[in-house]
Amino acid sequence: MSTDKRRWKWLSAAFLAILIGVVAAACGGSDSETTTAAEDTAAADTAAADTAAAEDTAAAAGGETKIVMGFLSNCEGPFGPFWDATLAGYYTALVQYAGATPVDPADPKAGVTGAMVPGTDVPIELNTNYGCSDDKADKALAEAKRLVEQEGVNVLIGPLSGDEGIAVANYALTQPDVTFLNGISGAQDTTLKVQAPNFYRFFSDGAQWTAGLGAYAYNVLGWRTAVTIGDDYSFPYTQTAGFVSEFCSLGGTIEERIWPALGETDYSSYIAKLPKDVDGFFLDVGGTGTVQFVNQYTEVNGEDSLQGKVMGGAFISNPQIIAELGNKVKGVVAGSALPSDATTPEWEAYVAAIEAAFPDQTANAANIFLAGYYNNTVAAIKGLEAVAGNIDDAAAYHAALNGTEIETGVGPVTIDGNRNAVMDNFVVEVTDTGTKTLFVVPAVDQSFGGAFSTETPNPDRENPECVAGNPPPWAASITG
Amino acid sequence: MIPARLQWPVGIAVVAVACVLPFVVSGFTTSQILTRAMILGIAAASLIFLASLGGWVSLGQTGLYGVAGFAVGNFVEADGGSKTFGMNIWLATILALLVTVAVGLLIGAIASRSEGIYFLMITLAFGVIIKLLFEKATDLSGFGGINQIVQPEIFGSAQLQPERIYFVCLVVSIAVYLGVRYFARTPFGLAFQGIRDNATRMKALGYNVTLIRTIAFGIGALIAGLAGVLNVWWNTQISPGTIDIGPLIFLLMIAIIGGLYRIEGAWIGALIYVILDNRLRSVELVGERVATALGIIFLLIVLLSPGGVMGIYESISRRVRRPPSGDDAPAGGEGAAAPGVAGD
Repeated sequence: MSTDKRRWKWLSAAFLAILIGVVAAACGGSDSETTTAAEDTAAADTAAADTAAAEDTAAAAGGETKIVMGFLSNCEGPFGPFWDATLAGYYTALVQYAGATPVDPADPKAGVTGAMVPGTDVPIELNTNYGCSDDKADKALAEAKRLVEQEGVNVLIGPLSGDEGIAVANYALTQPDVTFLNGISGAQDTTLKVQAPNFYRFFSDGAQWTAGLGAYAYNVLGWRTAVTIGDDYSFPYTQTAGFVSEFCSLGGTIEERIWPALGETDYSSYIAKLPKDVDGFFLDVGGTGTVQFVNQYTEVNGEDSLQGKVMGGAFISNPQIIAELGNKVKGVVAGSALPSDATTPEWEAYVAAIEAAFPDQTANAANIFLAGYYNNTVAAIKGLEAVAGNIDDAAAYHAALNGTEIETGVGPVTIDGNRNAVMDNFVVEVTDTGTKTLFVVPAVDQSFGGAFSTETPNPDRENPECVAGNPPPWAASITG
Repeated sequence: MIPARLQWPVGIAVVAVACVLPFVVSGFTTSQILTRAMILGIAAASLIFLASLGGWVSLGQTGLYGVAGFAVGNFVEADGGSKTFGMNIWLATILALLVTVAVGLLIGAIASRSEGIYFLMITLAFGVIIKLLFEKATDLSGFGGINQIVQPEIFGSAQLQPERIYFVCLVVSIAVYLGVRYFARTPFGLAFQGIRDNATRMKALGYNVTLIRTIAFGIGALIAGLAGVLNVWWNTQISPGTIDIGPLIFLLMIAIIGGLYRIEGAWIGALIYVILDNRLRSVELVGERVATALGIIFLLIVLLSPGGVMGIYESISRRVRRPPSGDDAPAGGEGAAAPGVAGD
């Protein structure tokens, strides 16, 4: 046998031994291990000390059950670029309301230390083996199971995307003692249809984010016909449902609904397919697709071609998207759960909280990914405060959450009977530097003025149908 | 490889350990590590079955796995899907397997006329077509997938009694393993292997090469279908993302990590993959870069042993049994050492 071959054999044997070691270590590992592996850095040392402190004091204050909070978002896939923003929202809430201290203000991934239930000496143990999904329901579900069943998380914040939310809400049904608070997934079904009693969403759903748009298009811009174009999955179905429901209720008609696959990179065929004889279209292509779509559309139709012709969903008013696209989206009117131009004390307090925790993330204050995780984490902390850190009785914690009102950048937020937020919505116009609020639709609930209920069909490619009559209560007040 | 006289004792010992494991590890490990590895192992076994006996690397197995899962989801009560049949879970399972085999035979009839890279591309195309079909045909796949798929009552809840579904997966795994080994020794299996080695000669001997290949592909589809059914029994959920390109590549990785030409490698590869996928993110250096870390480990395995873990094991066992005497190993190295399961 040649020397080379022998060397390879021995290398192979060594590698096999390493693999066996990994397998043995994994099988022998504790199923509730937390952050103790991360002991090499000063940050992790502090986190480990916190963990130990949590174990020591959990039984002494609050209840017998240790509070372990986990985080589930997207670190891969089309929403991967928003990973840091979601982490910043999560940790900002803990810094602001739970007295935590950022390990590295320049890097949300480094985490925070010293989180306590307000008004008590009960520690909140933060699991730093983050749930990392890729916008696929299976992956989010597997990660949620890992966090809950292996890492011992009993308060989970997440997930990010529509289909993921539906899957995790279904999983919540099987884990009644664990409390799930949505991240920023916006599918309507997650709370309206699944109805898991331990799954909460302290942020509006995708349909709520479009409140006021349909009436603005019909009453102010004078549109009578429109087409919709959005990614082919549950969240854009929900957003489009809001626009279609409101626009059609006033007498408008939808000529066509176009659904490119999520992650599409070439929209030229869809752009060519857009009918020319309609008054405008509702654009809900999200994630990295927004930039691609707008670039391709404006290359064909001119740099200012979107103005007055397009109404956008939540993505187009995202600060990161505006920064990327500049003048191409200037003048576009969009629905948004957040007003970047607000000067209210609530908004300034919210922005100041982000700046105090993670100064580099201040520009993302109007980013729904940050705000969604922020709102839900604030609610989790407020609920813990209401039960003085005692979550032995999960039902009591859930009852406290049901009655929780949180202070957010857009004012107080409560939840309805589906455990979904009732929030103001903003119709905004994109400007050079961000967005300008045109008007506010107050206290939009998930039923969208009665258009959606547990009995109505799930938002999908064809639903809701375009039917005139019964406009939402706010529609009449939106006039030119 | 294991000497013939030790094969049964070793096999029984492995099964005995597998039977004891759920009682010594946590429910999470039973459900999310062991059961998931069993299911992925069965799916990978369908790929290795075709690779080892037929010389084909099929990228369509994930699609067939999905056909079975979606079929069950549509036939029974669930949230999403057709919602029109409401069948008993057992009837739904049998029908789902029949549908999967039928789809497998159809794909096999088309793909069996090709070889090598062309076969791989055709099966990849079918895998993608099946995924896109379920993505677009939301009457069949629901919006956000099919959730709350009912489980067989006799096995209890996969969430509350994870050991029950684990033992079901273990029994099916053993049946698939023994079935493939048996198949390899049957006249039909030998003919299939003969076609792998020299299709022209087999045709000259009077064998209907296309028919044999098509039927073998149908058998592979049945194995993939079993994994698909077990997946929805266990996970109670399936979505088009389940059979996307990512899972398709990971299944191929599992087969290659385990050893593409040894049926045992399917479960070994699956176990290694599931453990790495689950535990790597706890390593601070890896964090959210699990896919990158998995890719590096995959590259290392391929570079060190084209025959995967089973190839490493075989080269070591050969070395132990035959001390260096100046004779080189058989030509072809580890990867070509055991192209099949018939003579093991």
